[in-house]
Amino acid sequence: MKEVVIHPERCVGCMQCMVACATAHSKTKNLLTALVESPLPKPRIHVGVGLYREGFPNRCRHCDPAPCMMVCLPGAIYRDETWNTVLINTERCINCATCAMACPFGVIRYHEDSLGPPEKTIAVKCDNCVDRQSRGLVPACVEVCKCGALTFEEQSSSLKRKTDEMARRVSVGAEDRGVVESPGFDLLNALKKANVELSGREASL
Amino acid sequence: MSFARGQIMRHVIVGTGIAGTLAAETIRKFDPKSPIIILGGEPFFPYCRPMISMLLEGSVAPEEMAIREKEDFLSRDIELLLGESVREVNVLERKLETERGKVIPFDRLLIATGADPVKIQVDGCDLANIFTMRHREDAERMLKALPEVRRVLIVGGGLVGLKAAHALLARGTKVAMVEKLAHPLPLVVDGKSGAAISQRLEEMGVMLKMGVTVASFAGNGFVKEASLDDGSRVRCDLVVVAVGSRPAVSFLGKSFIRVNQGILVDSFLETDAKDIYAAGDVAEATDVVLNRRKVNAVWPVAAEQGIVAGMNMAGKRVVYRGSMGRNVLRIGDLDVLTGGLVNPPPNEGYDVLEDENRRRKTYRKLVFKGDVLKGLVMLNQVEKGGTLLSIIQRQIPVSMEKERLLEPGFDFSQLLPR
Repeated sequence: MKEVVIHPERCVGCMQCMVACATAHSKTKNLLTALVESPLPKPRIHVGVGLYREGFPNRCRHCDPAPCMMVCLPGAIYRDETWNTVLINTERCINCATCAMACPFGVIRYHEDSLGPPEKTIAVKCDNCVDRQSRGLVPACVEVCKCGALTFEEQSSSLKRKTDEMARRVSVGAEDRGVVESPGFDLLNALKKANVELSGREASL
Repeated sequence: MSFARGQIMRHVIVGTGIAGTLAAETIRKFDPKSPIIILGGEPFFPYCRPMISMLLEGSVAPEEMAIREKEDFLSRDIELLLGESVREVNVLERKLETERGKVIPFDRLLIATGADPVKIQVDGCDLANIFTMRHREDAERMLKALPEVRRVLIVGGGLVGLKAAHALLARGTKVAMVEKLAHPLPLVVDGKSGAAISQRLEEMGVMLKMGVTVASFAGNGFVKEASLDDGSRVRCDLVVVAVGSRPAVSFLGKSFIRVNQGILVDSFLETDAKDIYAAGDVAEATDVVLNRRKVNAVWPVAAEQGIVAGMNMAGKRVVYRGSMGRNVLRIGDLDVLTGGLVNPPPNEGYDVLEDENRRRKTYRKLVFKGDVLKGLVMLNQVEKGGTLLSIIQRQIPVSMEKERLLEPGFDFSQLLPR
């Protein structure tokens, strides 16, 4: 089964995935009209800042077993086996934030949601775009990502690609050939790191 | 572990809380054939105990509190005996007897009886309209009394007290609260957050009295007034006693199962008696932060212990890492998330890092011992609290600059090796 795979080393922190996610989970599904909706649609993927100001698209891992599901008081969090996705029943959710204590990745937010019951604050997180997937579309964050930091593929094929990448790096003569998989990203991240280290942490914040 | 795979074991679980329920489901996952029987003292299908304050508030109906439906048990072939409290456990003969006289033999037993609310023993404590709040029936009885009630006194500023206050304010009664210690939630937050919580409660209309407790109640049949130990009096026609809970172990008597505060369990959640396990609010396991035994009577701990006990009972040996106290609650628009050791004893080598941001209305406090995070308090913006709590729970030394964990921009990605 295809799933969203994150390649953090390729994230430039442009946050287009956040905009696409919010739009995909709006009532009108269109950026321009989504902007005037009430409540304002919010993203379910969150680009965080790393220690060297690199971007990191943080998103629900749909863990199995899922710690949030295990602690949910009203039993609102469940696994949809068809899409292998952890979902929240918006009617049952009581906004108790117990799942905030359980999620080690910090990807659950609490607000009124465009697609939830009106005027009710609920827990909101990535739903793997099951609505889009059922219409044959890939998740919105993947569709919009320009850097290949988010891909939609079989886990096995992603792993194979990474394994091949690793094998090429350590193979005989790799140093001479200078095998680098994503030179632009490596350079960008090296520059960010050097910049932070040169200027000192205070100046960089 | 001495039983062959596939051997039929008679599993009996006492308690229909989250620990008992999850244990039964976990056993069934690993053992499709053995009989599983759950005994519940209350006459209801398993329901969500933390939601009884919402029942009192009127924001949920009783059926919305159910954590499982009848079909969930039928489909898993789990037998549910409701309204059956245990009178005695006979460890040697591997059977238990219920209050109604039913004798139930077992091969493996899980005690998940939860806790009983502590009552206060003062003059007039048996007057009508003085309640504890632990069971669904408590909330239902309070609802019945409510039409005649104008003033409520809540004794105890812990979680249950705060939830009762919230619910009863919503019902339009006047609410006063007394707490023996210096601030609300004295066991789970520090003084600074306690002050913020006090302020918020007063803004919501709760009349707070800290550092006092009730000396006696007076009334004619029904409670009308409480005398406090500072000499003052509070008028009230309903009282919620919320001064904590104790593991429900009274039925164990002389059953050879060792009990301290709760039932002592090893790292497999097994008690002193072989094949008898305990989980949830009744169990006293090792606390990972304090590295000593402690009852952490909170829902997430009960859930994880139920699952671990269930696996061990089904013959999948799994070590329980240990429990950790943690709480989250919303008081009006103030969100509070805490975990681990929040008030470290002085002069024992703990370091405290704090950050307060008045503009964002946030406060964060971290308690370190060396490089290991031991405790956490967060006011507002609690969404990423789970990341910090999992650092505490794993007791892994933090290698990055510790101050960074205080920053609002702290993110899971900063923990990744690059």
